[in-house]
Amino acid sequence: MTSPSTISVSVSKDRFDAFAALLASDMEADLILSSPGYPAETVSVAGLWPVAEMVMTKKTTPAMVRNFCFGTPGLTMGFVSYTYGMMLRGVASDKPSCFPHGHLKKYGATAQYDPLNGQVTLSSVDRTRLRKLAGLLKASPDSLPEMDVPVLPGPAPTSSLDKTRYEAGVRETLNRILSGYTYQLNLSTKFTWDCPDTDPLALFLALQKKHPAPFHAWLRSGHDRIVSTSPERFLRVTDGNVLSQPIKGTLQFEEYDPSLASQLRNSPKEDAELSMIVDLIRNDLSANCVPGSVRVENHKSIFAVDCLLQMYTDVLGELRRDRDCLDLFFDAFPGGSVTGCPKKSSMKIIEQLEPHERGIYCGSVVVIRDRLNMDSSIAIRTATYNTVSRELNYWAGSGIVVDSRPASEYLETIAKAEKFLTLGKQ
Amino acid sequence: MDGIYSACSRAMARIHLQAIQDDRMKILLIDNNDSFTQNLKHLLASSISGAEVRVKPYDLLATLDLAGFDMIVISPGPGTPTDYPGYERVFAAGRPVLGICLGMQIINEHNGGMTKPLPGCVHGKTETILFNGLKRVVARYHSLYVTKVGNGLKILSKNENNVPMCLGNRNARLLGYQFHPESFLTHDKEVFIDFALDYLGLG
Repeated sequence: MTSPSTISVSVSKDRFDAFAALLASDMEADLILSSPGYPAETVSVAGLWPVAEMVMTKKTTPAMVRNFCFGTPGLTMGFVSYTYGMMLRGVASDKPSCFPHGHLKKYGATAQYDPLNGQVTLSSVDRTRLRKLAGLLKASPDSLPEMDVPVLPGPAPTSSLDKTRYEAGVRETLNRILSGYTYQLNLSTKFTWDCPDTDPLALFLALQKKHPAPFHAWLRSGHDRIVSTSPERFLRVTDGNVLSQPIKGTLQFEEYDPSLASQLRNSPKEDAELSMIVDLIRNDLSANCVPGSVRVENHKSIFAVDCLLQMYTDVLGELRRDRDCLDLFFDAFPGGSVTGCPKKSSMKIIEQLEPHERGIYCGSVVVIRDRLNMDSSIAIRTATYNTVSRELNYWAGSGIVVDSRPASEYLETIAKAEKFLTLGKQ
Repeated sequence: MDGIYSACSRAMARIHLQAIQDDRMKILLIDNNDSFTQNLKHLLASSISGAEVRVKPYDLLATLDLAGFDMIVISPGPGTPTDYPGYERVFAAGRPVLGICLGMQIINEHNGGMTKPLPGCVHGKTETILFNGLKRVVARYHSLYVTKVGNGLKILSKNENNVPMCLGNRNARLLGYQFHPESFLTHDKEVFIDFALDYLGLG
């Protein structure tokens, strides 16, 4: 096989974002765009001219995914749904599945921005395509033009669990905690809008500009468009070195004040929420890491996103020599911060308490480079838009622990949904 | 002669290696569908030099071959001991048994003890307890607690609210920890494995 040709150029991140927007609107590119300055900052990627696609179903095995990703050279980008994780963990569901279990693509050309050196690298085996991309990059504006966030239509969205039912779900979760079947559980609600005139790409670009986050993703999958604005890394593997950065603990603020960080850090409830998930992630890493290599660093670190303070921890490890990044990914999937603990028991309860299918929500957006290199988000703060039904779906959830109060947890889900609920109204 | 000598020494080395391998402690860790089992496996493997730890799911308990293990460890897990029938054969196997959290409660109920919901249960929090004469910081994850101690079991440690934190029967070679030695929140984790080996006559 011909090895790809590459062109590298130093450009600003704003310029790359403008270039990527052009590729998405004119050339159907899939995108991962990482805003600078976040602990989960990653390489931004645009993938063009798909040459191979894998739409995952319940019949897709991890071995088939491995073969798809590693059977031919070049990076793989796409998503894996929470629903696929239910199957992996042996959690049965009788809800109709309305969304692919995953969709992965290999591309005829990629453009990547590495924040470590400020370079854009264009790559393709086809020199004509490479020259075309280089020309487009050269002609791109210095930054995305200012744009209004599209206004989503009234009436207000419907939700799968309204305030009363969500709070009832929290109370039932507390009963299950008291009887020992879960120690922490992430309970979500799903919002659905009829949005006949919404341009989902305009929505993505406006959110990306106005609401910076480390794991923005725009992915095309059949009639579905994924608009992901995730702040959370699931798993990164760099030459076999593993990093997970689970987020637990949320504090909403209107104006940032440094004392808020210590307020969050010193809350026994938020501390317990994060600590539990750190132990769970240690467990999930240990299954495929060198004994003794799994360690915890920067416990209870804090960053701000969307007027929310978020607490997180670095959990690190070293991949065993006889394992690859997909062994790790599928054994640890879905991420513990969005299931609860213990994982399987909590996922069974979630399946009973949530009337909706999570679909991509709480799954992952992934970039797989080779056996020892990948990065992935937890697909939260994520919407899907179907270009046929013209429906926009968005989910928001909250981690329930024994000290949780139903009313506060509902407010936390609304805070996480706010950037979508108030679209165009700020 | 040299040839014969080196063939002999190679054979001797092989026998010696075999003996070392046979000395390796073999541990069976039964996983009650928990999310901390791998942490426990890594703690056992790193605390006990040369230990071989095999993890088997609870679902296979009825058909597990228990022979040949030096110690059987019952993992934590969701739910109550009554959700996990079938452990009788583990206790009948005559091997030393260590139980963590739910595992301790299973040991306790097998010996006629009782478990009930812990008022205001505790998950993901630390506590300082007196353990083997010293203050130790340990991680707690439990909704239930031992309200009646099983026959022959002694409370070896309890917290300031009298919640049993460690139960044991030295003669029957049974030991349980209500807290989680494998948690990153627990200080000096290896202390609890060393104590278990000593208590269970494996030191």
